[in-house]
This record gives sequence, structure tokens and C-alpha cells, in this order.
Amino acid sequence: MIELRGVTLDVGGRALLHDIEARVATGEFVALLGRNGAGKTTLLRAIAGLHRLRSGEISIDGAPSAHLPALDRAKRIAFVTGDEIFLESLLVRDVVSIGRFPHHRWWQWNAAPDDDAAVDSALAAVRLEAFAQRLFSTLSAGERQRVWIALGLAQETPILLLDEPTSHLDVGVAHDILALLRRLTREGKTVVCALHDINEAACYADRIALLGDGALLALAPPDAVLTEPLLQRAYGIAFARRSALLPDSVLVARSHVGT
Amino acid sequence: MRAAALVVLPLLAAVLSLLVGSTSLSPAAVASELLHPHATGVLHTIVWQLRLPRVCIAATVGASLALCGAVLQGMLRNPLVDPYLTGVSAAAAAAIAIAIVAGVSAAATPGIGFVAGLGAALLVAALARRGGGIDSNRLILAGVSLSTLFAAIVTLALVRAQSNQYASTVVAWLAGSMAGRGWPELATAAPYAALGALLAFAVAAPLNALRVGELRARSVGLNVNRAQWIMLAASSLLAASSVILAGLVGFIGLIVPHIGRRIVGSDARVLLPACASIGAALCMFADAVCRRIVAPAELPIGVLLAFIGVPAFLYLYLRPASASSRDAVTKSI
Repeated sequence: MIELRGVTLDVGGRALLHDIEARVATGEFVALLGRNGAGKTTLLRAIAGLHRLRSGEISIDGAPSAHLPALDRAKRIAFVTGDEIFLESLLVRDVVSIGRFPHHRWWQWNAAPDDDAAVDSALAAVRLEAFAQRLFSTLSAGERQRVWIALGLAQETPILLLDEPTSHLDVGVAHDILALLRRLTREGKTVVCALHDINEAACYADRIALLGDGALLALAPPDAVLTEPLLQRAYGIAFARRSALLPDSVLVARSHVGT
Repeated sequence: MRAAALVVLPLLAAVLSLLVGSTSLSPAAVASELLHPHATGVLHTIVWQLRLPRVCIAATVGASLALCGAVLQGMLRNPLVDPYLTGVSAAAAAAIAIAIVAGVSAAATPGIGFVAGLGAALLVAALARRGGGIDSNRLILAGVSLSTLFAAIVTLALVRAQSNQYASTVVAWLAGSMAGRGWPELATAAPYAALGALLAFAVAAPLNALRVGELRARSVGLNVNRAQWIMLAASSLLAASSVILAGLVGFIGLIVPHIGRRIVGSDARVLLPACASIGAALCMFADAVCRRIVAPAELPIGVLLAFIGVPAFLYLYLRPASASSRDAVTKSI
């Protein structure tokens, strides 16, 4: 369970998050929505312990996150981000193995049997078993995203935070990944996932957290959040509902439908 | 197979280095002297006071520079970084040049260089600080600009050198050579090199985590700030001890990590020992050649490494990559 109480954060004097109160239950899939710069990434990083708060508290299963040693935190929370980076010639398996870091001390050089098992099952979960010995640099964007998720899974944490795992992906791969996250929550993992696509959030999330200018505008089931006034506030444009193939109705900018 | 090669290679280089010099010795003679450490005679002096310390110094310098390069390249995630980036060598050279010109005794100059080198590393680290950690770009900028300043001081010292004798001593330092070094120098530098190596091996797992970027390394629980300070301490100790043993020896610290990654991949737990082994072997081998090629004079090792090593490296590394050579980068982890 993740609990945020009065979370306020600023970087270089600029307020990025303001007084956020939220609670995410174990096994829940929460999608984080909001326009660019609304604070989605910052909020995820704050939960992952990668940002220091100005005030407020984040607790993980009742333990204040700020007091957790980095390694303990990394055993409870995995943070998955797809930022592109320069990579040496690394095999997929090597990348995923880095998720085992928190389960070792620095001087423990040998991989333990449970390391191999964890890496194998992480690769299996994202259906990349056949890619284990492939060079990471030869993968497609969707495959890379799955490798980053596998790295997070190899950490074997109860909580998974993901920063826009479906950006730049085609609709098929995106739904694949979201279905995987959905399946993981059924197995008891807690997932908080920043998304850009409102309809993806509506399809897969138990609840949607809507951020606007660093404040939490709503945290509720999709039907309650995807309302005209809230979306107007969050994104500054008007939305309309339109029938579609998947899901059966989608939200589009109203100017496009001409109503 | 590769592991065996990494053990055998330095041993072969050591044996070769013991046999070769301005006078070539037979393997039997060298073996006999090594087995009788308390004997006397010219041959004994050559083996125990000239060859053996040279071999140990070359191994220490080669291993230190290669380890240092591997640690810094991994820490800054920049393949162009070499051990001298942090200003250690430039400051040591400047201090040594000033000491020589000022007429300080030869016995004291290595110590002066060592202190100045570590001092420069601290200064560069202080300039590169951001938050609680070290900013890679700031480190590179601070190191490069301070190195330029120290190089100017060396030039000034050379210009001010009152006799050609001083100037040639300074130039000999800058060229990189192990001529005239022996057990006392090794005894001074070895403990620091060993400490540096120990710290380098201690950060193998953090170096591995950093391969996927600093943010991800932090999110898997690495205290990046602390790891960077240890890496910087390790690299500074290694660079400074090699500088006081051999002056400025280029090529090894930049290139050996690349060769190591080619052979064993980028897993630091394998890469670091491999770099130490390749660096030691290369340096011992090159030193043997330097002693032989223009005997009885000696070629500075830095010159030899540049003339032979750079073209060889360019051929190996920059030729169009074939599928099999790409595999070789990663297969063996």
C-alpha cells in the first residue's frame, strides 16, 4: 500500500507537487494522467524515493519511505522508465539482471540461484525469453520497453511504478503491455503508471489519478474522473465521446467532432 | 579459456621481461638467480636489483592505469575518458617539474608528485560537486581545464629551467619511462596502488548498475553519490601511483578498457580483473621492448606504446564491425 500525506515538492524554488493526499491499495492499478509538465514523472520519482520532499510524507506499507535505506526501498518499489540512454553492448539478460542489484551487497560477486530464477521469470512475464541473448541495441521500441519492465520485475518488488510505458508504441504493443500490467495486479502487485492516452487509462486502470499543475485534481474510478469539467481543467481542451472499435467509446478533442 | 589466457599472458610477459634487456640472459641463469635470492655477483644484481623491480613496476603501472581507465569510463559512462582526465597526472607533472627545476633531491620528487596529484583530484572533485554527488560533465570540464593550467606550469618550468640538464630530466618524466626506478619507488607506490585496486574491485557491482544510467542505478538502490566518491578515490590513487612510478604513460588507461570489453564484455566483475591483467601484460611487454630496441639506451615507454599501440588499436576497433566481432563484445559474460 502506498500512502501520500501532504506531499509537497519543489526543485530549484519552482513548486512541482503541491499538497498531494492519496492512498493506493495493494493490488490496485492506478493510472496517472495529466498534461506534460503536470508533475506525473515527478510524483512517480518522489514515490520511488528519487526526489526529496519539501514537506509531507510518503509511506510504503506503513513504513515512512524517507527513512528506508535505498536498498530496502529498491526491494519494495521498482521504478520503470523508458528514457533512452547510451548503452554499451549489453545483452537483454544483462540489463534485466541489474534488477537483482538490491538483493546483493557490493562484495557479493556471484549470482545466486534465485537471481537466475528471478531474471528468467521476469523475462517470461514480458515474453522475452527468446531475446535473452540478444543485444539490447538491436531491439525495437516496444521490445525495449518490455526489457525495462522486466528489469523492474526482476527486482521482485510488490510495487511497480512506470513512467509512460506506452509512449511511442503502436496500439497493439501498448495494449500488450497494459494487459501485462493488469495481469500483474491480479497476481497481487500494485501498479502506478503514468499514461498519456486517456483511453488506455480508461480501459485498464482501477482508478485514475488526474494531476493538474502539481495538484491532484481527482483520484477515482475512470467514469468519475473522465468527466468534462475535470478533463477541461487538466488538459485545457474540451472532450467529446465518440463510438469506436476498442474500447467501444473513446474521448477525443471536441473540436475534432465539431459539436 | 579466456580466463586461462588472462593469467598466462601476464606471466609470459613477466618472463620475457626478465630475460630481455641490454644484456640478454638465458632462462636457466635467470631461474637459478631467482631461486637463490641471497647469492651475489653481477648476474644476481641484474636480476634482483634491475630486472625484477622493473617487471614489478611495469606490472603495477599497467594494471593501475588500465583499472583506473575502466573505473572512470564506467563511472562517467564515457569511452573517451582516460586516467589523466581528473588532473592527477598534470598536477603531478607540474609539481615534479617545479621540484626538479628548484633542485629538490630526486628521492623526494615522486612523493611531491603523488601529493600534488591527489590534491588536484580533490580540487577537481570539489569543483565537480553538485548536490551530494559528482556531476560527470562538471568533472570532465574541471579536469580538462585544470590540466591545461598545469600543462602551462610545466611549460613555464621548462622555459625557466636554468640548465639543459634540468630540462631533460623534466622531459624524461613527461615522456613516461621506468628507467632508473627500483624497489624503493615500488615500495612507496605499491600500497596506494593496492588500495586503489581494492576500491576499484569494491565498486564492480555499482559500475554494473551504472551501465543502464544513473537514474535507473539509483532506483535499484545504488547510492550513486557514495559510489562516485569511492570510484574517484580509487581512480586517483591508481593514477597517482602510476605517475610516480613511470611518469606519464598514455594509451594503456584509455585503450585497455576497450580491449577488455571486446574480449570479456562489460560486466565489471570480469572486466576489471581482465583489464588489470591485460594492462600489466602490455606494460611489461612494452617495457621489455623499450629496453632492448635501442640498447644500451632506452626508449620511453610512452613513445613505444603510441607508435605501436595506437595503429593496432585503430585497426581492431575502428574497422567496420562484422557480426562476429559484435558478438565477441558481449558473448562471454
